Amino acid sequence: MTDPISPLRLAASGMRAQSERLRHTAENMANADTPGYRRKLVTFEQAVQFGRSTGEVEAGRMRLDQSPLPRVFDPSHPMANDEGYYEASNVDLVIELADAREAGRSYEANLRMFEQTRQMGASLLDLLRR
Amino acid sequence: MFENIEMMRMARAMGQHVSQRHVLVARNIANADTPGYRAADMQPFAESYRRSAAGDPLRTTSHRHLALPEWSPGAPRAIQAEGPVSPNGNSVSLEEEMVRAAEVKREHELSLGIYRSALDLMRSSLGRR
Repeated sequence: MTDPISPLRLAASGMRAQSERLRHTAENMANADTPGYRRKLVTFEQAVQFGRSTGEVEAGRMRLDQSPLPRVFDPSHPMANDEGYYEASNVDLVIELADAREAGRSYEANLRMFEQTRQMGASLLDLLRR
Repeated sequence: MFENIEMMRMARAMGQHVSQRHVLVARNIANADTPGYRAADMQPFAESYRRSAAGDPLRTTSHRHLALPEWSPGAPRAIQAEGPVSPNGNSVSLEEEMVRAAEVKREHELSLGIYRSALDLMRSSLGRR
């Protein structure tokens, strides 16, 4: 009656993609104070197999945020140039935090779906056990 | 042989419908953050049931004629779920999907319950337990 494979696989693909996004967010946050660091971005796309969309989701190629790096005036900084400026990272902690929160929420939704699929499969098998 | 029992047939059709809907809900949730993805949903089971029942019944004037069953489960169709579209073209709302997931679970339990009680009925008609 129920095909337990497909919804499980869909939920797993969602969790994989979200955790990849969470990983990049964590990298960004860790490097928020690294001079010259560019924020990493990851996009989601639908997985395609044999030219058809399977419904699964996958994280696409990682891209770097090309917005200009802020110039900070700090002559005592070891990387400061002749004028006393150095390029900081373009990570905004508030944005990263919001991104992480959203990724976590989507991950949980996928997890709940996974759990529900498992329960439905188990109750179907109960029918056989009687 | 179970195919001929109307109640079991209907429970089976409901289970098939609900499992397809389950796949759609799982797909929507997996793609909750995919740009340009549109949420999909199934037509309600009652609708596909009604649609197939509305067809012209075949007349049987001889006992050798084949009679159509009272109804046959129509092929359920996926429809686009309406909802607000976010700026990146995605129309999945996780809250809506949670409601749908709860409906899926309830319907699944209903169909299993009907199937189980039909089995019990047969068992007691055989004089067991």
